[in-house]
Amino acid sequence: MSERTILVADDESHILHVVSLKLKNAGYRVLTARDGQEALEMAQQEKPDLLITDYHMPQLSGIELCRKLKQDPATSNIPAIMLTARGYSLEPADTEQSGILRMLSKPFSPRHLLSTVEEVLSGAAA
Amino acid sequence: MLKTTTNPTTTTEKAAAPAKDAAARPAALPATVLDNLGARFRPGGLFLVMLRPDGSVAYHDAASGLFFQRYVLPMIQYAEPSDQDLRKRIAALTATSPVEVWNVLPGITLAAFPHVEKRQVAGVLLLAGKSSGFRLGEDVVRVCSRLGIDCIWLGQQSESLSTYDDETLLRQARLLHGMIRDQVRVAGLEQELDSLSGQLSNTYEELSLIYQISGGMKINRRASDFFKGACVDVMGVMNVRGMGVSLLSSVHQQEPVLYGSLGLPPGKVHRLAGELMRLMGERKGPLLINDLHRDKHFTWLAEYAHQLIAVPLMRQEQVLGCLFGIDKTTGGVFDSVDSKLLTSIANESAIYLENSMLFDDVHGLMMGLLHSLTSAVDAKDAYTCGHSERVALLSRHLAQHAKLTGHEVERVYMAGLLHDVGKIGVPEAVLQKTGRLTNEEFEQIKKHPEIGARILQDIKQIKDIIPGVLHHHERYDGKGYPGGLAGEDIPLMGRIICLADCFDAMTSSRTYRKALPLEVALTEIRRCSGTQFDPRLTEAFLQISGDQFRELIRNHQEQTKRLAEKAQTLRVA
Repeated sequence: MSERTILVADDESHILHVVSLKLKNAGYRVLTARDGQEALEMAQQEKPDLLITDYHMPQLSGIELCRKLKQDPATSNIPAIMLTARGYSLEPADTEQSGILRMLSKPFSPRHLLSTVEEVLSGAAA
Repeated sequence: MLKTTTNPTTTTEKAAAPAKDAAARPAALPATVLDNLGARFRPGGLFLVMLRPDGSVAYHDAASGLFFQRYVLPMIQYAEPSDQDLRKRIAALTATSPVEVWNVLPGITLAAFPHVEKRQVAGVLLLAGKSSGFRLGEDVVRVCSRLGIDCIWLGQQSESLSTYDDETLLRQARLLHGMIRDQVRVAGLEQELDSLSGQLSNTYEELSLIYQISGGMKINRRASDFFKGACVDVMGVMNVRGMGVSLLSSVHQQEPVLYGSLGLPPGKVHRLAGELMRLMGERKGPLLINDLHRDKHFTWLAEYAHQLIAVPLMRQEQVLGCLFGIDKTTGGVFDSVDSKLLTSIANESAIYLENSMLFDDVHGLMMGLLHSLTSAVDAKDAYTCGHSERVALLSRHLAQHAKLTGHEVERVYMAGLLHDVGKIGVPEAVLQKTGRLTNEEFEQIKKHPEIGARILQDIKQIKDIIPGVLHHHERYDGKGYPGGLAGEDIPLMGRIICLADCFDAMTSSRTYRKALPLEVALTEIRRCSGTQFDPRLTEAFLQISGDQFRELIRNHQEQTKRLAEKAQTLRVA
């Protein structure tokens, strides 16, 4: 299988480091963005296989980012995993038309994140 | 490679032998870093080489021109005995040597400085450029003939190259030195960042595990269920083949609880649990064994496993039990990270275990008191012996069939136990009268639900069961007592206990009649559905099979017998 590219967007750099290290060690190519706008531009340019995004981000929230990607036919097929604060839940209306397949609450288990990524990617490939 | 033919092949053959050896040893700086730096200095006509401390070439800029590849590199590689200057200078370098210019190669200005790692010379960096005084003089020609290259050709190759005097080269070399220092620093920081991210990742993993385990700490949950969940979670994070929990028998009357595939025969499991409990009692700290073959306590276990980790479950210096794991599935060893993680899980679990023990204790005391109270009530009337307990059990069963929650089911049980507690206030002469009751006597009997409710009303923890006690003689058609409530106005608990109470009265012998057969009692219950009983509850009640009733009663016969004996002693006393 060719190398899969995953875009990780979070304004907290420690999350970016932990997530990219875990994914890189598992053989993925990882791109990182520190806000929603940067992530949007990167996604349009690089067309990653998967997006992992935080909910609360400056410029563009995780949900807005996902919606924008969904609206553009070029990026509408990119599945997304959303990270949220613990105890925070999203309404179904929020996640509609956003391509968000899974949600994980922080602090998440990196091991669990990796298995979620594999699950989503294998589902998308099938 | 236009002029290849001018070079005798002997030189290349000669070059192959020593290079082979040297290539096996890594350079102190990564080739990618050196390539990057070499490419920056190449356009200025400079050639980057890195030597190992022994003088062998670890790296050279392979993209540089033929002047460097054919003339400068071989001179550095095969400094002949007559050119010992270069060797001597390399040998003389120390970790604190500054950037120096060495004029040791004919026609070449050479700058050198040490690459230092851990205060040791880990390599020598050379930056070579065409000397400003380069000409095809005697020394250059001599080297050319030794290397077997055409010096006229060399002259042509050198024509386009910039020249360097000592000062200019020194400046360039200092620049290179600074760049390497920065690169090394950045590489170090990146490595540190990865290591910190790795540690942070572990911390996330542990934090998330602890969250998950704490979430499972429900006081009314069975300790073994809690430990099962915790062990499965820990197994995933720590990558162990099997986990087990062993608890002091005074804490938990159970076998050691095991999860995952320990692959041990049952006898060995007991031995392991026993020995671990003894060891934990002595050391009161974690135990890590990565080679069971060599351990004096656990050589016997080596047949089944290689590695063992165990931590005590402690509360106030007392070892309540231990948590243990066997064999890493990833092939690594148990280390301090594992023992720290397992210890924090054990500490959390011990608090839970202690609370759970206290809860069981208090709960046991309360239930004991309740049973004593009921025995006291039942003792007033020899023929109702065990009635309260049976009504409680039947009510619980019915509550389960009516799909009440686990908590509600337990409250119904308690209400069933206490439903007749008010009979304490009814004269024994009335309760035990065998003949027909007068109106006045019946009025006295009818007071027992209210007396019961009054007895219990000040205990705030059981306020919720009072409706069950107060209303267990209401009828669905509103003709019952004390409230004359009808239908859904009668609290559910009251409706449930009413059914169970009547059923038990019919199926137990009384002074004035023998027990009715089960089928007759059930027919009677069906007949009274909608008048005396809630029709929906009756439906649920009739779905409980006869076998279940018999089993329910048989299961508690022992208890009933015990209660009867107790009641007997109470009466005699």
